[in-house]
Amino acid sequence: MLKHIKIEALRMLRNKRYAVFVVAFPLGFYLLYSNLWGDQVDATTGVKASVILMVSMGAYGALASSIMSTAVPWAQERESGWLRQLQITPLPSWSFIVTKLVVSMLLTLPALVLVGLAAVLTQGVSLPPGAWAGLVVAMWLGVIPFAALGLAIGSLTRPDTAQPLAMIGMFGLALLGGLWIPLDIMPETMRSIAKVLPSNDYATIGWQIVAGETPSASAVLGILGWGVALIAFAIFAFRRATVRA
Amino acid sequence: MNAISFSKVTRAYGDVLAVDGLDLDIPPGRTVALLGPNGAGKSTAINMLLGLLRPTSGQIKIFGETPERAIARGDVGAMLQEGTLIPELTVAETVGFVRSLYPDPLPLDEILRMAELTDLAGRRAGRLSGGQTQRVRFALAIAGAPRLLILDEPTAAMDVESRRAFWDNIRAYAAQGRTVLFATHYLEEADENSDRVVVIARGRIVADGTAAEIKAGVGGQTVSFTLGTQSVAGLDALPGVMAVEITSGRAVLRTSDPDATVDALYRKTTLDVRGLEIAGADLEDAFLALTQES
Repeated sequence: MLKHIKIEALRMLRNKRYAVFVVAFPLGFYLLYSNLWGDQVDATTGVKASVILMVSMGAYGALASSIMSTAVPWAQERESGWLRQLQITPLPSWSFIVTKLVVSMLLTLPALVLVGLAAVLTQGVSLPPGAWAGLVVAMWLGVIPFAALGLAIGSLTRPDTAQPLAMIGMFGLALLGGLWIPLDIMPETMRSIAKVLPSNDYATIGWQIVAGETPSASAVLGILGWGVALIAFAIFAFRRATVRA
Repeated sequence: MNAISFSKVTRAYGDVLAVDGLDLDIPPGRTVALLGPNGAGKSTAINMLLGLLRPTSGQIKIFGETPERAIARGDVGAMLQEGTLIPELTVAETVGFVRSLYPDPLPLDEILRMAELTDLAGRRAGRLSGGQTQRVRFALAIAGAPRLLILDEPTAAMDVESRRAFWDNIRAYAAQGRTVLFATHYLEEADENSDRVVVIARGRIVADGTAAEIKAGVGGQTVSFTLGTQSVAGLDALPGVMAVEITSGRAVLRTSDPDATVDALYRKTTLDVRGLEIAGADLEDAFLALTQES
């Protein structure tokens, strides 16, 4: 399984599309936005925009990574025969989906770490050690629902459908979840949509941690609920995709 | 114990029986060709053998176990008809990964050597030619040192030269006491590379034996001579003769026993036999005769 994780991670790191959308995008936009508005201070929490943006862009990068590294590659493997190639080896199929999930989580780390480093090095962001630790753990575990969504998309659709669905899922969740634009300036309807999305819960937990608050129960329960639902959906979809006809 | 055993295996797609009551036992150590035209049910049979498809009825065993168990134990390696590799991974990474899934694999160097991939070990799969990709897929099939190697039309995309090299490699692998089952619609391939040919048509076995037996079974040999204006009467009654044809003055006798036929031709007829020829019909004739019946 370690070897499987290694080759799966290796192949994504060598994939140019992954590098652009998942690593360059959030990093580039963080540098851009924080240079424009980094010094603004949030009126209610007193947190600088450079810190809030770090969470937003980190969250976007992690979310994008977890969907990108699952949906399309997995749909392609099913279509291309690579899945069948592995089905006729001793590799058990539960190991297959667990590996996909683990790899997807590992691959969120470059985006999270690079955006965090950029924040520290270019904006002088500093947080108490406890807040850093909490942030990393929350941002890292919080991608599980998105990875599950990606796996479900990859299990149920062909590569040419998985591609746009993954893109829509990725940008839709990021945009509507308030990762690109603050919720406060959204119209009322969009704001009520955002409130129920896991991407908003995910980022909210991060924003609350950097503001020195304890993550709110509604955000934690929200993402846990989505996590359970999407994992169940992903397992159902995966079984459907790998069933012997 | 048989390496492979199909008993009364049927697979239906809707109303169509792709495999129709297949009974087949293959002892270990043999190299067997599953020969048949396209759509004969070869791939369906192989996919069931690999546990990728479930039989509608009947039972399949590999070394006495269900296909799923045999695969989980690492007893089976296979080259399916289609299958691309992960383009971002190198040949050595791909083969190294698959071999690591088996309990008792061949050493990586040996796999690469047997599949003639040593020089391509560092190349990414996305940059391989079609023939090179096939060699990698062969390497994946043998990586786990499986006791049973299954190949579904393995040379379909190969040119003549690579095909020859490929079969040399398969023979080397089989020579170590392993069982090989391959599907093909190339007659020469079945003839040259197997020690048993199972001919399948419309989901049923229509012939089973060595290539020579199958040729003989359909009267695979001919005795011909210049008949000229002589009478054909009595030729069809000669020993061994199954059919008589006259084409441009020559009599062509299809026979199951050319020695007896020729002997009788000289001793028991008064014909003036000139320009005698005895020819072994090729497997192609046998194959057409078998698969076009009924």
